[in-house]
Amino acid sequence: MAIERIFKDEASEEKGERARMASFVGAMAIADLVKTTLGPKGMDKILQSTGRGREVTVTNDGATILKSLHIDNAAAKVLVDISKVQDDEVGDGTTSVVVLAGELLREAEKLVAAKIHPMTIISGYRMAAECARHALLQKVVDNKEDAEKFRSDLMRIAMTTLSSKILCQDKDHFAKLAVDAVMRLKGSTNLESIQIIKKPGGSLKDSFLDEGFILDKKIGIGQPKRIENANILVANTAMDTDKVKIYGARVRVDSMSKVAQIEGAEKEKMREKVQKIIAHGINCFVNRQLIYNFPEELFADAGILAIEHADFDGIERLALVTGGEIASTFDNPETVKLGHCKLIEEIMIGEDKLIRFSGVEMGQACTIVLRGASHHVLDEAERSLHDALCVLSQTVNDSRVLFGGGWPEMIMAKEVDELARKTPGKKSHAIEAFSRALLAIPTIIADNAGLDSAELVAQLRAEHHKEGCNAGIDVISGSVGDMAELGISEAFKVKQAVLLSATEAAEMILRVDEIITCAPRQRENRIHAWKMICTSFHQGGNFVPILTS
Amino acid sequence: MAAPAISIPAPSSKTESYVDNKRKEDIRQANIVAARAVADAVRTSLGPKGMDKMISIANGEVIITNDGATILNKMEVLQPAAKMLVELSKSQDAAAGDGTTTVVVIAGALLKQSLSLLSAGIHPTVISDSLHKAAIKAIDVLTAMAVPVELSDRESLIKSASTSLNSKVVSQYSTLLAPLAVDAVLSVVDPAKPDLVDLRDIKIVKKLGGTVDDTEMVRGLVFDKKVSHAAGGPTRVENAKIAVIQFQISPPKTDIEQSIVVSDYTQMDRILKEERNYILGMIKRIRATGCNVLLIQKSILRDAVTDLSLHYLAKAKILVVKDVERDDIEFITKTLNCLPIANIEHFRAEKLGYADLVEEASVGEGKIVKITGIKDMGRTTNVLVRGSNQLVIDEAERSLHDALCVVRCLVNKRFFIAGGGAPEIELARQLGAWAKVLHGMGGYCVRSFAEALEVIPYTLAENAGLNPIAIVTELRNKHAQGEINAGINVRKGQITNILEENVVQPLLVSTSAITQATECVRMILKIDDIVTVR
Repeated sequence: MAIERIFKDEASEEKGERARMASFVGAMAIADLVKTTLGPKGMDKILQSTGRGREVTVTNDGATILKSLHIDNAAAKVLVDISKVQDDEVGDGTTSVVVLAGELLREAEKLVAAKIHPMTIISGYRMAAECARHALLQKVVDNKEDAEKFRSDLMRIAMTTLSSKILCQDKDHFAKLAVDAVMRLKGSTNLESIQIIKKPGGSLKDSFLDEGFILDKKIGIGQPKRIENANILVANTAMDTDKVKIYGARVRVDSMSKVAQIEGAEKEKMREKVQKIIAHGINCFVNRQLIYNFPEELFADAGILAIEHADFDGIERLALVTGGEIASTFDNPETVKLGHCKLIEEIMIGEDKLIRFSGVEMGQACTIVLRGASHHVLDEAERSLHDALCVLSQTVNDSRVLFGGGWPEMIMAKEVDELARKTPGKKSHAIEAFSRALLAIPTIIADNAGLDSAELVAQLRAEHHKEGCNAGIDVISGSVGDMAELGISEAFKVKQAVLLSATEAAEMILRVDEIITCAPRQRENRIHAWKMICTSFHQGGNFVPILTS
Repeated sequence: MAAPAISIPAPSSKTESYVDNKRKEDIRQANIVAARAVADAVRTSLGPKGMDKMISIANGEVIITNDGATILNKMEVLQPAAKMLVELSKSQDAAAGDGTTTVVVIAGALLKQSLSLLSAGIHPTVISDSLHKAAIKAIDVLTAMAVPVELSDRESLIKSASTSLNSKVVSQYSTLLAPLAVDAVLSVVDPAKPDLVDLRDIKIVKKLGGTVDDTEMVRGLVFDKKVSHAAGGPTRVENAKIAVIQFQISPPKTDIEQSIVVSDYTQMDRILKEERNYILGMIKRIRATGCNVLLIQKSILRDAVTDLSLHYLAKAKILVVKDVERDDIEFITKTLNCLPIANIEHFRAEKLGYADLVEEASVGEGKIVKITGIKDMGRTTNVLVRGSNQLVIDEAERSLHDALCVVRCLVNKRFFIAGGGAPEIELARQLGAWAKVLHGMGGYCVRSFAEALEVIPYTLAENAGLNPIAIVTELRNKHAQGEINAGINVRKGQITNILEENVVQPLLVSTSAITQATECVRMILKIDDIVTVR
């Protein structure tokens, strides 16, 4: 029986087994792509941009790799999304979550091949995930009460996170940097007040934490280079003449002296504005826009330090840390909130001069200055440090801590295995599969380090059969080691997020039984293409127009 | 969607324990090969007898240079790993200023050894870790070899500057340029912060004509500009009072568009008179402060001076230099110890700078303005570079920059070390000995790296037309006997004590070359995939 075509030309439809296969394969390909970056001996990837300049990024960060990929597979996109969410929520574990989801799907594929209904697999996975979370909850350590121990926990977490990154050689140094920075935040997760400045030159070890705010700008000519007890006005205003903003406005005069008068009046307006700003009782003025020569000289005469062309990010942050407001009118000095700091001075980092504001109102603020051989190194260092800062700030709030090195996965796998044995029915196959997927993580960590994964994981499993075992994979010596002794810790929040979002993503992809691809937009004929987009919107299609040049 | 989708490989079965790593190996190999190709391209320019490269840029311009950073910068490489080597040379340029070729050649040699280690089945992270350890050890060895130097020891500073210059096109002028570089850097060192040198305080002015011999350091200011003068204006002023102004001496102009309506003939006369009076008024105010030299900032909005104002300025015996870039204002005010003036209202005597002499000098075809004998001069210096053609001048400038950097390195870290391949061969020897006491694969890797470092003396000898193998073996022999300063004397074509030959370089250049090269190689080793992204 021949059925008429339902879809438009070029639109395609895949059903049932084929659809499921397509999404499995896509998701697994993504997981395989990033899985080599997992663990302390994970490898890096070069990301080569197809855009202009063909820029090159070298990275080990799962989220960065995934979000810059071209992807044409629906299921793969789901995995990229969960990695993004993981990045936003907890900052680390972006690779783990994708790898775990990939492994769950790999196991599911086998079960589907064994004629187990996807829904049964899903309910099995759900039970297993719940059981795994419980297992973790029972094993967590919480040292919130003991400040000393808590700090050492944080140090360990930072070191564990950093050990898989480019910073691993100087991880002690950077872990201390990150912990100090996060401790200053006093429980806030607002990483805005930690500023990271990258300056090429020197080596990674020369990076340092500065208690204050550093602005990468220059002080105007002839102005004081050092101010104590500064009152800072942060502004976003045009410092040239207030132009009449009506198109075609022009001055019509009949003599040269009148032109001179108008010019004088323009200058006078500028001067007035500067006077108004000075009337705020300030000795430091920071503007987002340019300060021209004339106002600059006026400021210099008044002994005020003026900084021009501070970028948008710069002034927002400066206003935040000095406790001031960004002003754009200056008529009411009493209503404008000024920022304060103890000392403004010029410092030299490498070859460049920067301005440091120290003793700022908001004590949480600090600046981390990163030094390194090249831009590639610096960019990657920034990403790594950002991960560590995210995890630490999350841990300060939720201080539950687990061991690392595949230990949590082994604990979970053991409990899930127990559950499988107790569960009657087909579901138990799915639960067992879940435990196998969990085991894949230590396997991959070992594989990446060039170790004999099968041997190690088997040993680890045997160790975990004992009660209260702290065994995990010690990648450095290539054997099973005691994670408590090695000081490898991870935040509970990260592990929980990995477990739950990977399960959810796998579940979502499993539910798919049909993929409908909408007809691509026609390139040759733009007007026609627009019509198509419009019609597809009208028909309620999920056509996403992609802007092509 | 023209964007290529990622290729989706067939799901590999996980049941087998053997993992197929073919693709990763291929990528790594391709990266290393590409990076080595870059290193090979600059290899021949290493050392005093190294050759130059001629680079013709797409727009037809030609550059002849021996400077590794410049060569690599102009080479348009596309392969990502090769790009990293270009970056490496840039960062060496930023960190030390010299040794930009050395760092790339070392990285290339390390990569070559890594490749053979990889093919022996050693895991890349093991290689990377051993490399890190070896680098730390190497820094210790280099530091132990170093000789401390005092800034007052001008001779030693000159020696190291001339070592850097010897490998350049302008090597025959090293006796002139080396002391010049040393004096220039020492003159900008602030006694309050003795470790910091800001090379921006040294301004290099290039002027075509003459030969490199005529290059000179000017204690004062040099402008590559003519004095703007109408008939009778001064071109030489003694006891100058100098004003740096940021306004223009021309008829007024408003920011809002303006037009002057002239309705009859008499009005025209009046307007002309008014213009004259206006300018005259300005010049009188300037004259009243005793100012006799004006430096006028460039403005895109209106003319700095008009014929009319020039005429009056000439009458008032004021020397005018116009079109000073805004970026230079800071340097100029610092040098002259004066303040810029943005408005005629603020024209006061206390904002002026003083100098004994301002004069226009003709140099070759063009003219320059020199300000000398500045009162309370800031810690800045000018160097006037001359040369018979643009290519020579450019190369002379680059070489001088390298020499300045070398001196700066010595100011930052006051140690120097023997040149001529001596430190590298000593490193190779000591690392080789150290490798024997290491356990496991680390020792094997460190030994390979020790061998890799011999590439520097090898290349030096090769470029000088000597027999590299004979030279390197002899060098090894000398070092084994404890002559740690034995190096290749390229001039004599034999091995001598290189310290006695005055071939020295700053410690910072060598240490930075080792750390940067290893950091880059480790990064390349850790890469196992190239992903095309948007």
